[in-house]
Amino acid sequence: MKYQSIIVEDLQVAAEFLKRFCEKSGVVDVAHHFLNAEDAMQFLKDNVVDLIFLDVEMPGATGFELLDQLVYTPQVILTTSKTEYAYDAFQYNVTDYLKKPFTYQRFLEAVQKVSKKTEQINGGSEQDHMFIKTDGKLIRLHNDDILFIESMGDYVKFITPAKKYITHNTIKNLETKVNPQVFMKVHRSYIVNFTKINDIQENVLFINGNMIPISKTHKSGVMQKINIL
Amino acid sequence: MYNEDQKIVFHFSSELDIAFLQELYSDDLQQAEMVFESSVQQLRNEQQLAASRFHDGDIPGLKKVIHKMKPLLGYIGMNKLMEEFAAFEQTCIRSATAAEAEEGFHHIKAITLEAIKKAEREIKRLKQHNTQ
Repeated sequence: MKYQSIIVEDLQVAAEFLKRFCEKSGVVDVAHHFLNAEDAMQFLKDNVVDLIFLDVEMPGATGFELLDQLVYTPQVILTTSKTEYAYDAFQYNVTDYLKKPFTYQRFLEAVQKVSKKTEQINGGSEQDHMFIKTDGKLIRLHNDDILFIESMGDYVKFITPAKKYITHNTIKNLETKVNPQVFMKVHRSYIVNFTKINDIQENVLFINGNMIPISKTHKSGVMQKINIL
Repeated sequence: MYNEDQKIVFHFSSELDIAFLQELYSDDLQQAEMVFESSVQQLRNEQQLAASRFHDGDIPGLKKVIHKMKPLLGYIGMNKLMEEFAAFEQTCIRSATAAEAEEGFHHIKAITLEAIKKAEREIKRLKQHNTQ
């Protein structure tokens, strides 16, 4: 899994260093770097990320004030030059706490903690929903409400029995984010909730009257998933 | 053609925290040169800002600048100075007036200038090495 992250850091040198570590690791993508918490808050109103590298003391709002504003909870790695924030870090349930300047080895340890926490979340009952950004709002969709997800280029369409939601994302990205116990990719343009499949005929499946192609690559995976008596 | 046997080893100066710098930069001396240059540049800028805050009597503002300067010293291998900066941050918290922070401020100013000189010497060495 590759983590989508942002860096919120007013010290340019520290941010550049961190970007280089993220790139080197191959598992963390940096979507943006913000020099203050306010700009990051604005970005996070419209975008969902997996991970925030967050400085605490910055001009204007602090890193903790940013966390207070969030409507969802990405993982957070605090990056600060003070150790006095350990108690607050614990209160905010941050994943790790890096004291600047930190080495690549220490950075990797923090990313491993992110990975472990992700596994815990995905393995438990917590991932029974997802948040998607649509019409300027973050909407919670329960897995059970989603029939399938269809690609529309740089956008995807979430199909539920009641409504369709279009959001800026790709099937490739979602493939690694959705709960694999419920969803599976059946075609480069489709991820389906396989508990909703009504029937399968050759290389197509049907969900609520919608015909969805199954690619040759994914056919055997689909057949393994379904319970054939 | 590049010959591994001809690779010239670079040793950071003994006046810096060598072990930490080696861990921080590994073999990436181009990166070290770039970060040293950026850190020195930013230390200069922040030093001016700190002086301005001090002369305006803005001690909370001065504390913020000192806090920002502190990690820059780590990137140039002067980790012990970070402790002095941390101590001065505490002085700023306790000080209601510029007079109370004056002695500490002049000390910080002096060690910053010394740190910049050392870092500039190291930049020269790094440049020399990296262009070989």
